[in-house]
Amino acid sequence: MIPVDGSGQRPTARPSRPDHRLRTGIVIVLVMAITVWSARGIDVDPAAILANWPNAVGNLVQLFQPDYSFFPQTLPALVETLQMAVIATAVGSALSLPLAFGASRAANPNLTVLRVVRFVMNLVRSVPDILYAAILVAIVGVGALAGILALVLFNIGIIVKLVSEALDGQDLGAQEAALAAGGSWFGANRMSLLPQILPSFASQVLYTFELNIRASTVIGLVGAGGLGLLIDNVRNYFLYHYLSLIIVEILVLVVLLEGFSSWLRKKLL
Amino acid sequence: MTRTGADIRIRHVGVTYPNGFTALRDVSLDIPAGQMVGIVGLSGAGKSTLVRTINGLVPITSGTITLGDHELRPAGQRQMASRELRQLRSSVGMVFQSFNLVKRTSVLNNVMMGRLYHNPAWRVLLAAWSKDDVELAMQALERVEIVSKAYEKAASLSGGQQQRVAIARTLTQQPRVILADEPVASLDPPTSHVVMRDLQRICSDLGITVLVNLHFLDLARRYCERLVGLRAGEVIFDGPVADASESVFEEIYGRSLSAEDVLDSGVRL
Repeated sequence: MIPVDGSGQRPTARPSRPDHRLRTGIVIVLVMAITVWSARGIDVDPAAILANWPNAVGNLVQLFQPDYSFFPQTLPALVETLQMAVIATAVGSALSLPLAFGASRAANPNLTVLRVVRFVMNLVRSVPDILYAAILVAIVGVGALAGILALVLFNIGIIVKLVSEALDGQDLGAQEAALAAGGSWFGANRMSLLPQILPSFASQVLYTFELNIRASTVIGLVGAGGLGLLIDNVRNYFLYHYLSLIIVEILVLVVLLEGFSSWLRKKLL
Repeated sequence: MTRTGADIRIRHVGVTYPNGFTALRDVSLDIPAGQMVGIVGLSGAGKSTLVRTINGLVPITSGTITLGDHELRPAGQRQMASRELRQLRSSVGMVFQSFNLVKRTSVLNNVMMGRLYHNPAWRVLLAAWSKDDVELAMQALERVEIVSKAYEKAASLSGGQQQRVAIARTLTQQPRVILADEPVASLDPPTSHVVMRDLQRICSDLGITVLVNLHFLDLARRYCERLVGLRAGEVIFDGPVADASESVFEEIYGRSLSAEDVLDSGVRL
């Protein structure tokens, strides 16, 4: 073969393009089969939308005409939703911080404790917030307490996961220096890793606060206090003018708080 | 900050890492208190492993290391009770190539790491340091002439300043030995001399035993009293700096010397 670059060396043979066509085809067919099977299983009938149309139009018209005179009566529930979110965020993040260190391979040298914490956290995370709310309403009764407890569990699941991952991604030089100076693991983590992850912890806390505002409206539907409880009531009486006002309120609240927290997070990081 | 150094006795020490790589073979050294010893060798020769065995960061697999009243043994059972290991580490300061500071926090907070061993968990958690401990930290910062930066973020300092903060951190331990693992490898030549002079002064003024890994031969000759040459995990030279001729260095490096082996080009060995 004639050398291409004149260096007197043979150019390295180019690899042939790997052939993934069969594999890609199988994956596409499988995904389609699962989708079709799911649709048949739950008997999806798009015609139902048309059949219900006259009814839907009436409701939609009401939904687009919020009754603002209802506003004063929604205020207590609105405030309760905010308060639930604040308390749940505070308690949830306070409990999450030590647990995050326990769930981080970088911060926790004890493999047994690490595995136990991670297993329990996986369990906590696998239960949806509304299920927690339903169970807790059965235990502590209808009201904000059940909602707060549900949100706390929900927050722990999220914050521990995200913060322990942030811990695992840290440069461990300072931690090594602290251990080399005779510090305990607790002391070394407090002095080296905590200051390093504090901004990302604060950012996760703000993020879960946003989630809590939204979630607290939903978990109210099963009786856990706040705006959700109110939604449940007005919906049962088909008061769509009122429901529409509540939806607008939630929208405004969430947009405002998201704007505020993303502004704050940008300042932190 | 007046405390005399400790003798280090290294007897037939071998280190084999869990992956099977043998980093040290039958190393024996006697280092009297207050001596400044330079350890030279190619990268991979075992310099870093050697200094890290002395404070137990790397467990030895054979032999013994005695430092003051403490004896480190192979990690067959357990090298040392963790409380005693922490006590030993508290009397051994360590300086790292990449400084290993917590960049997000203040210089003073970084230096306070040197008091971790001497403080109960609650003081560490709240960073509620006693006046005496803060005084020690300030004195250490004065000694490396960087006390004016005490309340600045570590990240805002230059490389040389950061390394001096790291040296102040070790001084705050009131150490009997300082181990420096390539302390100037990330610094420019003038700054390297400043840092080496700091280490030399600490050794001569405070009588602290100093072990320093160096890549550059001229630095080793200029600042150390004694040189230890490592090659493939074995000591192949151990003696006063004056005895380390060019042929000795060539043996340590396994090749003839080049301009890359000295920090200041033009310096003759």
